[in-house]
Amino acid sequence: MKDFNPVQLATPIFIVTIILEIVLARLGKAKANYEARDTAVSLGMGLFSGAAGLLTAGLVVASTLWVYEHRLFEIPMTAIWAWAAIFLLEDLTYYWFHRLSHERRFWWAAHVNHHTSQHYNLSTALRQTWTGGVAGTWALWLPLAFLGFPPAMIAIQKGISLVYQYWIHTEAIRRMPKWFEAVFNTPSHHRVHHARNPRYLDSNYAGILIIWDRLFGTFQPELDEEPCRYGTVKNLATFNILRVAFHEWIGMAADVVRHPRHALGYIFGRPGWSHDGSRDTSVTLKAAWRQQQARAAPEPEAGT
Amino acid sequence: MDKAYLIQLAASTAAVSVLVGLAAWAKIARPVGPLNLARAQELLSEEFPGRSLDQVWVATDGAGALARSGGMALVLCRVGDGFAARQIPWAQAVSSSFRNGRLRIDLSDISAPVATISLPSWPPKDLAA
Ligand SMILES: [Zn+2]
Ligand SMILES: [Zn+2]
Repeated sequence: MKDFNPVQLATPIFIVTIILEIVLARLGKAKANYEARDTAVSLGMGLFSGAAGLLTAGLVVASTLWVYEHRLFEIPMTAIWAWAAIFLLEDLTYYWFHRLSHERRFWWAAHVNHHTSQHYNLSTALRQTWTGGVAGTWALWLPLAFLGFPPAMIAIQKGISLVYQYWIHTEAIRRMPKWFEAVFNTPSHHRVHHARNPRYLDSNYAGILIIWDRLFGTFQPELDEEPCRYGTVKNLATFNILRVAFHEWIGMAADVVRHPRHALGYIFGRPGWSHDGSRDTSVTLKAAWRQQQARAAPEPEAGT
Repeated sequence: MDKAYLIQLAASTAAVSVLVGLAAWAKIARPVGPLNLARAQELLSEEFPGRSLDQVWVATDGAGALARSGGMALVLCRVGDGFAARQIPWAQAVSSSFRNGRLRIDLSDISAPVATISLPSWPPKDLAA
């Protein structure tokens, strides 16, 4: 049980389903776009993200074990209620990890990788960061160990969440049944999360359950009248995997060197924050979009 | 590094190569025809909402465009089957190196180092003052 690794077990499924998505799209039976260089970057990021994770794995494991030694409660790995509890708590942790990763540049620098593709297909799911360990967001899962969830149980649930989030990276599935869309994260909800349209920015941070976005006010449904345009606000103009992996870290360091007095803002401000307001953030982009909408559609006249 | 890990890495690398090859073979990239003026304007206003487009130059091969917007140059270049856009000071765009019908614009951005735009001439002679 302790060796149970959902991501490793799912790898053959990743490969087969990507083949299936490509072939079905080629036959005109499913909606999917693949561009070879984009696919190479996505899969390359996925391939080496595991190796990059090994660099900090020792620290993560040691910290988790240390916290677990000082746990509050004894939680048995064999109890159903314990799995139900960790399912909810891990997913809640994921929501806040993901939201932090979008709202503060330091963590965005690690997470942006996942969003750099202008495509949205199953290969995009595997475009995983190389610098998540360095960014330190794994610390957000330590409270689960402090509560008393065994580290192996936490690792397994994290793996289950990652595998769940794989299948939703597709345009081939339009909508799931209504009840499913209401409770779970779906291809439709996550497409919105990957979209760069101003109205879609900063929404749908869910891992498995979309209920957290509904609860915390970040839910945005996919609208038929506004097709998703994928990527980041400033799309990359390169397929160089090293630039893809490190560009935001380098950009952040350059800003800090250039404006040391504003270092905190450039590190912990919103992505796009600048000391003179010369750059756009998701907040300014959304505001400009709202203004534009208001101008384009003036208040309807009374009586019509 | 142990042997099992290396074998796993080698197998994964092989799988990645096969998948990339398959993606190339399938030819299912987004259809992205050469830009014309209308499409370039549409994309530029999508990328830079609310900005004036004083003048727009579309690349002769349709793989990019350049617009003047006040003191700034808005640059659009094709990346795979999509586009990326950046802005730089207009003066910098004017003094970019132009050789063999290709304008090489230094975008000074780690995530978008250069844009190459094919143009009949540069700087434009019909430059609005
Ligand atoms: Zn995200
Ligand atoms: Zn995603």
